[in-house]
Amino acid sequence: MAVIEAEHLSKRFGKKVLAVDDVSFSIQPGTITGFLGPNGAGKTTTLRMIVDLVRPTGGSVRVLGGRYRDLARPTTRVGALLDASGFHPGRSGANALRVVAASAGISYDRVDAALEMVELEGAARRAVKGYSTGMKQRLALAAALLGDPEVLLLDEPANGLDPEGIRWLRTFLRARAAEGRTVLVSSHVLAEVEQTVDDILIISKARLLAQGPISELTRTAQPVVRVRSPQAEKLEGLLIARGAAVNRLHDALAIRGPGSAEVGEVALAGGVVLHELLTEQPSLEDLFLQIAGTRREP
Amino acid sequence: MISLVRAESLKLRSTRTAIGMGIAAALVTVVPAVLLIAFLPKGTIGGDEARSILIAGSSLVTYIVLVFGILGMTGEYRHGTITYTYLAAPRRGRVMVVKLVVYALVGCLAMLLALLLANLIGAIGLPIRGVSYPTPDGAALADYARQIVTAGLITAFGVALGALFRAQVVTVAGTLIWALMVEPLIVAFKPHIGTWLPFNVFSQVISLRIGDTGATTDGLSRPEAFLVSIGYIAAVSVLAVFISMRRDVT
Ligand SMILES: Nc1ncnc2c1ncn2[C@@H]1O[C@H](COP(=O)(O)OP(=O)(O)OP(=O)(O)O)[C@@H](O)[C@H]1O
Ligand SMILES: [Mg+2]
Repeated sequence: MAVIEAEHLSKRFGKKVLAVDDVSFSIQPGTITGFLGPNGAGKTTTLRMIVDLVRPTGGSVRVLGGRYRDLARPTTRVGALLDASGFHPGRSGANALRVVAASAGISYDRVDAALEMVELEGAARRAVKGYSTGMKQRLALAAALLGDPEVLLLDEPANGLDPEGIRWLRTFLRARAAEGRTVLVSSHVLAEVEQTVDDILIISKARLLAQGPISELTRTAQPVVRVRSPQAEKLEGLLIARGAAVNRLHDALAIRGPGSAEVGEVALAGGVVLHELLTEQPSLEDLFLQIAGTRREP
Repeated sequence: MISLVRAESLKLRSTRTAIGMGIAAALVTVVPAVLLIAFLPKGTIGGDEARSILIAGSSLVTYIVLVFGILGMTGEYRHGTITYTYLAAPRRGRVMVVKLVVYALVGCLAMLLALLLANLIGAIGLPIRGVSYPTPDGAALADYARQIVTAGLITAFGVALGALFRAQVVTVAGTLIWALMVEPLIVAFKPHIGTWLPFNVFSQVISLRIGDTGATTDGLSRPEAFLVSIGYIAAVSVLAVFISMRRDVT
């Protein structure tokens, strides 16, 4: 049974903004799914719809078999770290979490456990207004973990974390998945995502463009042929004339479309000397840029 | 429900807002009472005046609890804690009802303490000026009870207004401008409309029996004013609950 199941999910804000457009996906237990998309693509809106903070204008989403609001003690089942949520600046970190725990009927013992998990014990008695960006992010993460939930929804959890924190987060998420828990995590740090997630969802301009295991998606993606040549400019012209997509930086070319054999033949026919010719499996970043495009609508 | 009540009470105890409001309420109670007792010419303090001295600050306390209610609700939007509140308790109607009730009780408590404080000052201060402290009789106690209940209702009114408008500064400023400037103008120029406006109705409920200036001939009777107050607060609260349940939290 899918842990999260979205069916034709749509959200329109007012008349003009279609934030999420007919998005369907399902997330299996024990997996980490990366939720990727350019700014304004609809990631946060989708995550907020899963936990009933935003009402869909079309379609539906189910989590753990039902609507979020019908779950008994929902924060003990689903933990969420969401953009644009926050803490009262005058409260201490520990009190901020106690407030969250109290509303959810979670014991205060969990507050200390969660603070320890994110390594904030030292600052627990200090007011949140004195926290750094990364400390606030850790506190938000602690709030999501408070109920020891089986599902985690994390909206850009790496925001503001230092390299050590990011590495900790990666290990932490892997360990959660190994316990059979399910994670849906949005992120812009693709290199991080690549090392952490099993599956990805790619959303752009409100529409879901790709979903599936990361290995499969990168395999089906177009490979990139890289070439170094003293006559790079000439080769670039020849390839573009054949309809290839080419990026040139000085003597290096990155070519999409033709395979390495074809590039080599074009070079020979054109009398172009090659210093290097190799095929590269696209990284998640290449894949992402291919699918979601680099340019935003004006 | 119990956990929501605990959460609200912890929210109140874990910031300085409640303490600040408590201090403000104490000051507006103590300062006028002390000044009046100290500076009124001796002959002018009779029993009735003495009694009104004791509640001189209480109308200001109602404005303080009003602001307190607005801050309590709009603060959740301002600081983004509303997200956590609704994640833990996605049945938003319950959250709002608990908040309204908890704040109403706090408002009642604030007025109760203010009145106790005022009477304490009277019991100590009046005899020093040679005026005997008028021990509250049944009528005075009824006045006090009305003031306490109204303070609770006004606090809930503040919470409901906060839920409707969300923006903290705008709601506080807008409400105070309405209550202190717009309504009095309407009351002055169009009394038949003014009589029915919310803050004027509230003040008619708690207006003093002695030297009564609040309720004029065309004003409402106390029971009428009380019923209309309840009507206003119920209407705004129901609207607040209804809108909160439907609104996107982004
Ligand atoms: N409350 C709102 N009212 C109106 N429009 C909104 C609201 N919230 C989001 N939007 C719009 O919906 C679209 C999707 O926004 P969303 O925050 O979901 O994007 P995102 O993928 O999370 O972007 P980012 O990577 O920048 O966080 C955007 O065009 C945004 O302007
Ligand atoms: Mg976002």
